[in-house]
Order: sequence, then C-alpha cells, then structure tokens
Amino acid sequence: MKKTLCSILLSTVALSLSAQSTVKIGWFGPETGDSALWGQAELATVKMMAEDYNAKGGIAVGGKKYKVEIVGYDDKGDSVEAVNVVKRLIYQDKVVAIVGAQGSGEAIPVAPLVNEAKIPLVASTATNPKVTVNDNGSINAFVFRACFTDPYQGKVAAFFASQKLKKQKAAILMTIDDPYSTGLSQYFKESFEKLGGKVVAEVSYTSGEKDFRAPLTKIKAANPDIIFIPAYYNDVALAAKQARELGIHQLLLGGDGWPSDNLISLAGKSLEGCLFINHLDMDGPEAKPMRDEYKKKYGKNAELNSYMVYDALSMVVDAMQRAKSVEPAAIQKALTTTNFKGVTGNIRIGKNHDPEGKEAWLIKIVGPDMKFQEKFAAK
Amino acid sequence: MDQFLQQLVNGLSIGSIYALMAVGYSLVYSIMNFSNFAHGSVIMLGAYFGFFALTSFGMPFTVAFFVAFFGSAAVAVLLERLAYKPLRDRRAPFLYFIITAMGASIFIDNSVIATIGPTPKTFPTDLLPAFLQGDPLEWGALSVGRIDIAIFVVAVISLALLILFIDFTKLGKAIQATAYNMKASALMGINPNFVIILVFAIGGGLAGIAGVLYGMKYQVFPQMSAITLKSFIAAVFGGLGSLQGALLGSLLLALIETFVSGYLSTQYRDLFAFLILIAMLVVRPSGIMGKVAEDKA
Repeated sequence: MKKTLCSILLSTVALSLSAQSTVKIGWFGPETGDSALWGQAELATVKMMAEDYNAKGGIAVGGKKYKVEIVGYDDKGDSVEAVNVVKRLIYQDKVVAIVGAQGSGEAIPVAPLVNEAKIPLVASTATNPKVTVNDNGSINAFVFRACFTDPYQGKVAAFFASQKLKKQKAAILMTIDDPYSTGLSQYFKESFEKLGGKVVAEVSYTSGEKDFRAPLTKIKAANPDIIFIPAYYNDVALAAKQARELGIHQLLLGGDGWPSDNLISLAGKSLEGCLFINHLDMDGPEAKPMRDEYKKKYGKNAELNSYMVYDALSMVVDAMQRAKSVEPAAIQKALTTTNFKGVTGNIRIGKNHDPEGKEAWLIKIVGPDMKFQEKFAAK
Repeated sequence: MDQFLQQLVNGLSIGSIYALMAVGYSLVYSIMNFSNFAHGSVIMLGAYFGFFALTSFGMPFTVAFFVAFFGSAAVAVLLERLAYKPLRDRRAPFLYFIITAMGASIFIDNSVIATIGPTPKTFPTDLLPAFLQGDPLEWGALSVGRIDIAIFVVAVISLALLILFIDFTKLGKAIQATAYNMKASALMGINPNFVIILVFAIGGGLAGIAGVLYGMKYQVFPQMSAITLKSFIAAVFGGLGSLQGALLGSLLLALIETFVSGYLSTQYRDLFAFLILIAMLVVRPSGIMGKVAEDKA
C-alpha cells in the first residue's frame, strides 16, 4: 500500500516536472537518399539516448531535472534542404542545441545560420576543417564537432601508406563535387608527397555516379602501388568491384566514409585485405555497452554515425550540466572547455572547436569482418 | 592503345544498357508524340521485380528475368491505362501528358522508398548463372567483366528481335502505320488503343530487362530512374521516334561520355553530354535519324 502511494506520488512529481521542464534538442541528417543508412542510424541513436535520459527522470542540470525531446528532420543529404530544416529547428521549434550534420557539405552552409541565431551545433562526422574554421581563419563560435578533421585523417592515411606499407606510388579516386572527398584527397596528397611518395594519378567522378570504369582505367594505366579512395561506402563498394573487374588488384585505402554494416555485403570479396581509417573500433570494448543496447533495441548493428552522434549529444548534455543551464549561450561557453571520455575516445575541444589529440584507428577488412589493426595518436 | 581498347569496351557496355532504355522512350514517342518520363521508374521497378524474384522467391535466374520482363510490361500498360488514357480521352494537350508522366515517376519512386527503403541492393553473385560468376575475362591488358559481356549479348538479341518484329510482322506494321498517321491507320482498321497498349508493353518489357541488367552491373536502388535521363538524351540525340536512331544515339553518347571521362576529366563528361544534346537540337532538331521535326516535348 505504502509502495503504491509512493510510486503514485513519484509519478505525479515526474509528470509535473515534465510538464514544465523539457529541453528541446534538434537533429538533422539524411533519412532518405544515398547516405540514408547513416542518417537513420543517427536519429535512432539520439532517440534511444533521449529515452534513456527520460527513463531516469531526465537530465540533472543545476539541481533541476529536464526531460529531453529530440526534434529530428530529414535533410536528404542536400545542402539546400539542410539550411531549410536548420532554420526550422531554430526559429520554429526553438531548440537549444543541434546535433547531427554528418556531412561536411551540409554542415558548412549551416554554420553561418547557427552563428547568427547563437544556437550551438555539434557535428557528428563532418570532418572538413571549414566546418569550424572559415576561409579567413575566423572560428565559427557556435560550431563544434565530435570527430577528428580531414587534414589529420589524410595525414594518418598518408603516413600509413608511405611509412608502414612502404608504398611509393599512390593513385586517388575522389568525388569531385563533395568537399569531404576533395579535401581529404588534398591532405592525403600533401602528406604523402612530403613523406617522399608520388601521386601518379588523381581522377574523379561526380556524386551519384555508378560507373567508375573510365576513371579507373586511367588509374590502371598509371600503375600505382596503392589506391586511396576518400568516398562513402556505396561508391567504395561499386568502385572496388569495378576495379577488380578491370584487373586492378592493388590495395585500396580509405577514410571514415567507408565503415558501414553494408560495405562488405555490397562489395563482396572485392575489398578483401583493404584498409581504412576510422574514429573507433566498432567491435572493441569501449563501444560495447552502446553497441549492445542499440542491437537489443533495434535488432541491427549500430553504424559509425551512431557512435559519433552518441558522443555529440553527450557533449551537449555534459556542457549543460557543467554550465548548470540550458540556455544556448551558456551551453556554447561550456562546450569550449569540453574534456571527457566518450565512446569514440577522449574528446578535448581545442581552440579551433575541434577535438584535439583524438586517435585514429586503422581497420582491415578480413572476410566478413572489420578487424582493428592499430591506433595512431596525434602529434 | 590498351587504355583506348579498355575505354571502348567500357563505353560499349554502358551504351548497350542506354539502348535498351532508350527504345522505350522512342517507341512511345513515335506513337503518342510525348516523352514518357515515367519510363525510368518502370526500369527501376523491373530491377526490383528481378531482384526479389531471385532472392526472396528463390526463382531460377531465367525465370526471374522473365518475371522482370512481364512485370514491368504490366506496370507500363497499367500506367498507360490509369494515367494517360484518361488524358487521351479528354484530348488533353501534350504538356499534360508530360506533367502526368513526371508525377507518376515521382509517385512510383517514393512508393519504393517508403515501402522497400532507400538502401541499395546488390544481386548476390552466387545466385547468378555459373557463367556469370568468377573472374573477368582477360586478353593481355584488356579486362572485361562477365556481366558486361552478358549485357551486350542480351541487349543485341533483344534489340534485333524488336527490329525484326517491327519490320516483318503484321503487328509491327500496325505500329509503324499508327506512328505514321494514327487517324488514317484507324480508318484502315488498326485499333489505335491496341497499338498503344502494345507499344507500352514492349517498351515496359525491355525496361524490365534493362533494369535487371543495370541492377546486375551496378546496384538496385529507388533513384535509378533519375539515371535513365541519360538514355532519354541518347534517344533525342539519335532521333526520338526512330529505333535505329535510339540505338545509334545510345552507343555514341556512351562512347563520348567514356572517352571524355577517360581522356579529359569526369567533370567535363556531363558538360559534353548536354552540350551535344543542345547542339543537336539547334542544328538538327529531329536528331541523327529522326524523321519528324515536331516539338520535342
């Protein structure tokens, strides 16, 4: 009897609390289109996290409990659509912070909007440096990210290809209209040539393309030792298959656009033994609790973006708790001093609003598995 | 030289798929004088028919192929009955046909996204016939995928059969007559409604074949229909309404595209493709082999 009374009391308290204090956090990303798989995984993850927070009565900020409400919109992986939905999140839904922005192509046009409205944005996997730092060197005050950047990723890939694998001649296959791909190519090339290697072919395709035989034939003629493909998993799978069909048997190397549950099923055997740089070891012990919870709830494996957005939202919540406020300006201020251990490693926000010293993980494709090889610490 | 031959093979392989798609545009245009922009969605559905017949229903490959052929033929006819016939009955202007076609295309694509999902699917290699599995065939530095050879052969056979059908059968003659003058041929006892259904069925069937071949070569995904726009350019290039023109246009376009991406840069590929289209429309609006110089709508 006593127990029931207690729980009734408790639930009334919870109800009255939730009635007055809910904190709205926005999310945007592609729920449809080529990168839909990752967008859907991100939204599923932030919803799962919100449910977890709310099951505990909400998040404790400055002695008060706030329920978390996620407002998520589909940007179709399109920059114009991204601008539209972010305006909606800011001015219509009045969110206090935004997470998501997985592609640099969407995050860059959105950055001036959040700066102007003074709403903090924490990007999950937008790795292009221009997301946080503008062309003129000024910093986007309200934009942060949970991932390392492309210059760093390109450096690691080049270092690995040149020093560990001892490859002299590299070829690059990039998506010409995607800043992620062109940026990463450029950083790879710079670092690779600085280390004494030579880029013998630099070829490209436009996004949405399904036939890579023409550029690949060019690569074949240049006869490189290794082929760097800074692209997303679907393109990588198609390009790998077509490369093998053209009799190109060299090792393929990639970045964080590769990891996906679908990569190997789409590519078949054509990626056997190939390597890529990732933000974490998705099969490792650090990711286990989150991986198991996701699998149990949704019946499928978490994607890379699940882990990244997990840390992005955790950064926001951590900032709220340290700021003891859910005001956007206070969250922004607290985000600049972020230093905590996420599922993807230690996240310490530096002066450019990028995590400093985050490790890059080298992963090898072996049969149906993605096997962790080694970690590179930042210099 | 090796690179040239390899690019030639690459181009022919794409060109044969363009050709299978382009004849669907051309056939419908020859009879109804409008560009059926929903054709791309029929191609996409054909690919899904073949894919699910093979994977979910475990049918043998040849059967799955025919499922795709008849399935998309049925969809194309259904499309004509539901979307275009009411317009024809009301003698709507051609612009309405095109808008309806675009609407139907968006509807079909999004139904697939909503029901099956946007994630691309690949034909599992182990379910394909034995001669399509295994390593690509190599002659010196030249390497040709087995699926590419199969696509070329299937495309050549289907298109040869189509041309024989149009030129040497009574039904084919009926199509030709209707294309030449619908009213006069109706007076001669050719049922225009029947010919229209026939044309949609043939175009749809070939779309099914094209869809499965495309799916085998690349992937099966809902946005496939957007890519078939290239085959429409090929049809206009060759001359809308002319079958031989569609074939020629497809091969030429594919070769130009491949050589531009191979020797210049992929960035210039679409620039060239559309430049050719515009130049052709300015210099010779009826395309290489087109006979009628009416509005290309």
